[in-house]
Amino acid sequence: MSSVVLSDLCKSFGAIDVIRGVDLVIEPGEFCVFVGPSGCGKSTLLRLIAGLEEATSGTIRIDGKDVTDAEPSARGIAMVFQNYALYPHLTVRDNIGFGLSLARRPKAEIRARVEAAAEALQLTHLLDRKPKELSGGQRQRVAIGRAIVRDPKVFLFDEPLSNLDAALRAQMRIELSDLHRKLGATMIYVTHDQVEAMTMADKIVVLNGGRIEQVGSPITLYDTPASPFVAGFIGSPRMNLYDGRAVGESCATYGIRPEHLKLTDMAPRWRGTVRHVERLGADTVIHLDVPDLGDMVVRADGDRNPPIGSMLGISPLPGREHRFP
Amino acid sequence: MIFILPFVYILLMAVKTKQEAALFLFAWPSEWRAWENLVEVVQTRNYMLLLAYFNSTVITLGAVTLLVIFGAMVGYVLQRRRSPWNRVVYVFLLIGLMVPPAVVPTIWVLQNLGLFKTIHGMILIQVAYGLSFAVLLYRSFIASIPRALDEAAIIDGARPWQVFFRVILPLLKPVTVTLIVVQSVAIFNDFTNPLYYLPGRENVTVQLTLFNFQSQFQSQYNLLFMNILLVTIPPLLVFVFCNRQIVAGMTSGGVKG
Ligand SMILES: Nc1ncnc2c1ncn2[C@@H]1O[C@H](COP(=O)(O)OP(=O)(O)OP(=O)(O)O)[C@@H](O)[C@H]1O
Ligand SMILES: [Mg+2]
Repeated sequence: MSSVVLSDLCKSFGAIDVIRGVDLVIEPGEFCVFVGPSGCGKSTLLRLIAGLEEATSGTIRIDGKDVTDAEPSARGIAMVFQNYALYPHLTVRDNIGFGLSLARRPKAEIRARVEAAAEALQLTHLLDRKPKELSGGQRQRVAIGRAIVRDPKVFLFDEPLSNLDAALRAQMRIELSDLHRKLGATMIYVTHDQVEAMTMADKIVVLNGGRIEQVGSPITLYDTPASPFVAGFIGSPRMNLYDGRAVGESCATYGIRPEHLKLTDMAPRWRGTVRHVERLGADTVIHLDVPDLGDMVVRADGDRNPPIGSMLGISPLPGREHRFP
Repeated sequence: MIFILPFVYILLMAVKTKQEAALFLFAWPSEWRAWENLVEVVQTRNYMLLLAYFNSTVITLGAVTLLVIFGAMVGYVLQRRRSPWNRVVYVFLLIGLMVPPAVVPTIWVLQNLGLFKTIHGMILIQVAYGLSFAVLLYRSFIASIPRALDEAAIIDGARPWQVFFRVILPLLKPVTVTLIVVQSVAIFNDFTNPLYYLPGRENVTVQLTLFNFQSQFQSQYNLLFMNILLVTIPPLLVFVFCNRQIVAGMTSGGVKG
């Protein structure tokens, strides 16, 4: 278990500043998730930690040691790539054992460690296949096996599940969480899927334009987002955000989550026309047009099915409103 | 059929007697003299043909090996590294591909280097002539190999040369096979370059034996055709054995992860 500490880390590609002063402490054994919109620098930040990109300024410490200028292989990290990056010409066995064979470990040791990793990931029966004979989920497991077998201090994942279908993604999410618990290693995970972020993370780092917007546990970010950006990014369907004056508040931005709005006829705060209804079974997501505010999304019970064009009254739950200065 | 007919003709001529061959007819030989003709051709001028085979093989093997290794390495560096020198190198490669070589200055350079009339000089000449093509071929193929593969290997602890030899080079096999076939046939069959750069009796190559023998075998066309037959066989074998891989190499788009 190792900590990762970034201080004032910057990265520019030519004239473009991609990472603009990141300070971050990741505790030993933590599962840390980087989220943010596309192009905000998540992958770049991860690649800086991996050593695949050179920092323009600032320092990276892993386990207390300054590794800013160290080779990737000397940092004690392992990385799982979005498109798996398995060596196509090698069998699963050789893919997993590649790093060990480069390090010239004895044959017997390589064999034992590869088989232990394969066992843990239920890959034993596939060891002699080539990557192209595997399904997407199996390839992803091999890529994870290749990381495990190196026994790294820190695991790095760059959107590892984004090429899988929804059902498999849900399953792999659970497997990865189990793996994290079992290994107890520090893991850094990049995703733009906020379900992955909410369900797996001990700590979420929200990035925006190369800067950290907020750091905290999933629940902290959900309950007390520091900015409208974070508020809009965490939670699904996303938070309704309005100009403070339009709702008669003194703050700059006013936000209320769809699940914190209730439909009521008793002195409602707003009234809106139903524009669209999404019935998800467990709940119903209702899109309304509210005069002067525009769109408002409400999450209601699954048995609600208001006709399109009807008028509904809406009130916020007390204590659940967000006011951003 | 059109490809086979000349071969059949050569074959038939090669096994005829001297008198029959002189008629140049596309006819069945009355007498099969395959073995006698073969022995006679091989023994001509002190086993010159065997020496020629040896020389040609050495030149072909040496040049093709160097072409594969240098072509793949230069192509790799050119494709993966972003540097202002890339453009310069690229322009030189295109020049190398387009501008015809000047013979006399080349000979002059070779003489100054002490490489004129030597086998390794000839190898270097063939490498120089083929390198542009090899590099461009490799470069475009390497572009289809995802960079994440290099990065995965680097994280696994591979040094740059290990990334190349253990990950990239094995993936280049389809191009390599194509290159080996095309270049080895071309170099083995090359006539003019050995003629210019490799004069001397002890340096004959297979194609030059034809030239040398032509005068000697003036009235013995059966022997000349036997010689042609022997010269044609090695490239033919290469094509027959590698045919499928060549097609695979030319059509395969690259590597999927
Ligand atoms: N090698 C590079 N050269 C120049 N610019 C780059 C390079 N790599 C990334 N960038 C730029 O840096 C910015 C951040 O890229 P990055 O890949 O880190 O985004 P990301 O947050 O991972 O996005 P996504 O969610 O789409 O993967 C982008 O604007 C991108 O164009
Ligand atoms: Mg990315």
